Amino acid sequence: MLRSSAVGCWWRPFTEVAEAAVFVIDLAPDAAHEAQALEWLSAEERARSRRYVGAGPRRRFTLCRAALRAVLCDRLGCDSQQLTFGTSSHGKPFAQIDAKPEPISFNVSHGRSHGLIAVAARGRLGVDIEERRARDDLEDLTDAVLGPNEKREFALLRGNARTHFFFRMWTLKEALLKALGLGFSQDPAEFEVPPAVRQGARTSTFSFPSRPRPLWGVYDLGTDEFAAALALETIAHPRLSSDG
Amino acid sequence: MATTAERVRQLVADNLEVDGQPVAVPADLSVSLTDVGVPSMDFVAFAKVLVREFDVPLTPDDCAGFSSLKDLAAYIDAQAA
Repeated sequence: MLRSSAVGCWWRPFTEVAEAAVFVIDLAPDAAHEAQALEWLSAEERARSRRYVGAGPRRRFTLCRAALRAVLCDRLGCDSQQLTFGTSSHGKPFAQIDAKPEPISFNVSHGRSHGLIAVAARGRLGVDIEERRARDDLEDLTDAVLGPNEKREFALLRGNARTHFFFRMWTLKEALLKALGLGFSQDPAEFEVPPAVRQGARTSTFSFPSRPRPLWGVYDLGTDEFAAALALETIAHPRLSSDG
Repeated sequence: MATTAERVRQLVADNLEVDGQPVAVPADLSVSLTDVGVPSMDFVAFAKVLVREFDVPLTPDDCAGFSSLKDLAAYIDAQAA
């Protein structure tokens, strides 16, 4: 298993939701962390790290992937050398020990300064994190991402409330798309975040319009520092409230 | 008249930034948007810019799937042909 006793960990438990554990990753520049993280990566992952053009993207990939390895090795009770990653036909990675697929769900997201890892023993999940910032192209983005009701609600907002609302909707939708495993091949404007969550509730259940099953739990994990969300398949969670 | 590759390179420079800096890509467009660290939100916004500029069908997933910007420019040329 991986331990970072010499330089300290750059990830820590963030929250637990239903059966999922969520970890937050500190992506601030830190030479010792980056050197340690690089040591934990496979040769293929190091090559991928080198392909990143800038230092920032390279650091984020390296720190996130090493933290993911540590979290998964801890959960699966394996050494990093035993852990490899396969890819589903839709491009979603899965964990393997000694080349044998493991039934553990995980997902990773990162912004500029923070990353999130979500992991659960079963059920598909997706996580997203974004640091909020004003954007000149917010109108374009809302047009591409929000559904009709969401656009109407967005139009009533002003100033920071618009940014807050948009990033909240974005992270919830991207978490759902990542959980589904189809990414942005599914149009995010074709489905809407549950009304209760749009109005401020932190959790609800959701199903895609064209796919009544499964039911997904959606969780707003946002803080003052960042917008974030988790989507979790509700196979084993019948007690989730329907709207909040 | 600028080639598609030159226009793509300029659109990247004008519309995308990473860590607060404009994205500079090599003239041969040998890198992908993933390689330069473009986040998913910017893929969505940039796909709209490309559709508007070239009037070709292009999704954010398409943009993320090209292994280089050179391949992206070639796709645009093929769609326009």
